[in-house]
Amino acid sequence: MFTFTRRKVTSLVLGGAITAASFAATTTLANAADKITVGALRFTSHAPSFVAFERDYFKEQGLEVEFKFFQAAQPMAVAIASGDVDFGVTAISGGLINLAQKGAIKVIGGALHEEKGIDGQMILASKKAFDAGLKSPANLKGHSYGITQAGSSFHYMAHKIAQKEGFAGSEIKVKPLQKVGAIIGALKSEQIDAWSIVPHIAKGLGKAPTVEIIGKIADYIPDYQVTTVFTSAKNAADQKELVKKFLTAFSKGADDFNTALVDKTAGDQAAEDMVKLIHKYVYTSRPYEKAAPSIRNGAMRINKGAKLNVTNVKDQLSWFQSEGLVSKDITIDMLVDDSFVETY
Amino acid sequence: MDLHLEDISHTYGDITVLQNINLTIKDGEIICIVGPSGCGKSTLLRFIGGLERPDHGQVLQMGEAPKDSLNPLTYIFQDFALLPWRSVRGNISLVLEDHGIKGKKAEPIIADVLARTNLSDFANALPRQLSGGMKQRVAIARALAVRPAVMLMDEPLSALDSQTRELLMDDLMDLWQRDRFTACYVTHNLNEAVRLGHKIVVLSRRPGKIREIVEIDLPLNKRKDHAEHLAEKQAQLWSIMREEARAADKELVHA
Amino acid sequence: MPNQTSPLSANQKAKVPFRGGGFQTKSLRLISPVVFICLIALWELGSKTGFISNLVLPAPSEAFEAFMQLARSGMLWTHLSASLQRLIIGWSLGSTLGIMVGLLIGLSSIARAGLSPLVSAIFPIPKIALLPLFIIWFGIGEGSKVATILFGTFFPTVIATYGGVDNVDRSLIRMGQSFGLSRSSIIRKIILPGALPAILSGCRISASIAIILLVAAEMIGAEFGIGAYILLAGSLFAPDQLIAGVAMLSIMGLCFAWLIGRAEKFFLSWR
Repeated sequence: MFTFTRRKVTSLVLGGAITAASFAATTTLANAADKITVGALRFTSHAPSFVAFERDYFKEQGLEVEFKFFQAAQPMAVAIASGDVDFGVTAISGGLINLAQKGAIKVIGGALHEEKGIDGQMILASKKAFDAGLKSPANLKGHSYGITQAGSSFHYMAHKIAQKEGFAGSEIKVKPLQKVGAIIGALKSEQIDAWSIVPHIAKGLGKAPTVEIIGKIADYIPDYQVTTVFTSAKNAADQKELVKKFLTAFSKGADDFNTALVDKTAGDQAAEDMVKLIHKYVYTSRPYEKAAPSIRNGAMRINKGAKLNVTNVKDQLSWFQSEGLVSKDITIDMLVDDSFVETY
Repeated sequence: MDLHLEDISHTYGDITVLQNINLTIKDGEIICIVGPSGCGKSTLLRFIGGLERPDHGQVLQMGEAPKDSLNPLTYIFQDFALLPWRSVRGNISLVLEDHGIKGKKAEPIIADVLARTNLSDFANALPRQLSGGMKQRVAIARALAVRPAVMLMDEPLSALDSQTRELLMDDLMDLWQRDRFTACYVTHNLNEAVRLGHKIVVLSRRPGKIREIVEIDLPLNKRKDHAEHLAEKQAQLWSIMREEARAADKELVHA
Repeated sequence: MPNQTSPLSANQKAKVPFRGGGFQTKSLRLISPVVFICLIALWELGSKTGFISNLVLPAPSEAFEAFMQLARSGMLWTHLSASLQRLIIGWSLGSTLGIMVGLLIGLSSIARAGLSPLVSAIFPIPKIALLPLFIIWFGIGEGSKVATILFGTFFPTVIATYGGVDNVDRSLIRMGQSFGLSRSSIIRKIILPGALPAILSGCRISASIAIILLVAAEMIGAEFGIGAYILLAGSLFAPDQLIAGVAMLSIMGLCFAWLIGRAEKFFLSWR
């Protein structure tokens, strides 16, 4: 009756506990046939995978890719831990670190990165708070700040702002609201004072009468490694070739993306083509004309060659530890396998 | 206080249940209404007490109700209608409370009616602890508590077994002897009718009309000694009703 | 049955075989704790031997340790009191309003015609889906949390109450009328007590719904609360805390059920 194959049970239990809806357990395994499953969110930041798929960079590497789409990063991390998905891209979160500690996943490369000169994540304030004096992130002390959950990247950003401005992180009143949509609602209705978010959402919100843009994250965390590429610890240990192939294709996709939309050195036609390609995956429910500006605005640097800023990752790890969100025993080696890409 | 029923007719949808009923209930008299099932006798009783309104005709109260009567037209129901969450005392107190008789003021009335119905020892019992006969005694005590001018009894003994029925008939008789109340007593049991009724109104099958009014002159307390006379009256009633009952029975099957 | 094949002659005796029994439920008080303890013990054993991976399910002892950690840190009471406060306020407001509206629907034809389809239409809407709206309507403070629980408990109570009113023995109401009781007396002394069993069983359901909704309610800007604790455990992937939190909810549910059971014993002793 109980055949405890770990994979099945894991996906059942974790699936039930955390995201009943997100995965219909696929049985694709990264085996000799080099069929892989890539987890993705429908965000512009996941574009390198889409580009690599559409432009056959994965095929060139002999990889047969199937996408599995998720609503949030957390269930994707769990799906990778359970082996249902092979590769994913997401921000470093407490959950990700705890899964790494349990020997389930490894960070293998870097993706989205804050870079001075390129529009990155922005800090927003509600009009009410703005009028009452919250004109700059330096005044955030004592204000409320929207986050999805404790231990999310939003939480980290809030505390980094506090650190740089010289007050305790706990003096920003973080409000866990679970979903980006809920935070947007709370900010628009002026129930929270501030928030930080990726540029295309920030710019859109900045046009609303009740929201003001008051700063840039890049000024506070200049070398912020926003998202990382990760895979199951098993893949990282036993399928090194496969991981390398994936990263090669992913990097090619990232290069195309960077030249077309971030550096804009490839010309208008290439940019247009890139936006069209991404629109197949992102904002699919909106017409192209409406989706295109959001996609363009959302373009942030993806690290070349999936380079990983370990220095910043270490900083994030120690922040999680100082907040008591993850165990103090976790070392950077438990989290990161630096054998695949250049690190700095 | 007399009650006068004036040309009462009533229909439910297409079915005429009662037609041209004229009847007078005299003060201090027990009138029994008998008839085959479905002849509208319970409906008629609801008209008399004002719980329902007839389509046609009216019920008239002739003269003033006695001053001390709290609820001149008081029912006793077949299913007792006791509140299961109130004790015997509480059930009686219920009908007094709305008249502002509460607590100390209610005590003597409750004690009196409980004594008259031999329930004094059960004042604190809950309905579920009582037998059917006891429950109906509580209902009678409750009715007595409001000092009714006319008691409207809707098959009060039908839910009881025959021994209990005998006992309660004796009780009712005693109560009437002590304090001559007016009553309209609906039953399908002819034996009850000849034992308790001064007049017995026989209704025909649907649409219910008055077939005949049979009077019994014997005083209530003497009736047990004249069994043959009662048997004769009962046979007479039965002969009137027999065909009606048979036809009504068939009607029900076809309905 | 040996006697079946050889028919008995007239003077032979045989016992009539017993054919009853077998379907009555006996109350076996010991079975349920034994099953419970055995399951926990098996689970612990499975975890200790590595048969159940730590990633799949933490050992009960780990979950208990997480609970003790919470207790030692002093946060247990902070979380518990925050949740209890929301539950009690939300549930009692929801139930009170629900009983009132339920009575209204049960007693007035106009209210029934107007409100009961509305209740049926809104009842099945998952309140979680409305969370973003709740934030705008009631803010991210206690308001939206209490409102989530209030909305969740209001509708089942309405339905239970008017169902209860509908089921009050009509002959009792007729009796009240025949004795000339006022409308308010009939409602207070006959209809309300008569509907009470249904209302209390509605409370049983709404109390469970309130606990289910606690996690949803504490999605909105809650720093403390059992639901917030569970959500954080989920997002940090700390299954031991998750199980500890869920166990607390289930114990809460048992306590509520017990309390309502006591209330039933007290109020419905006449049954």
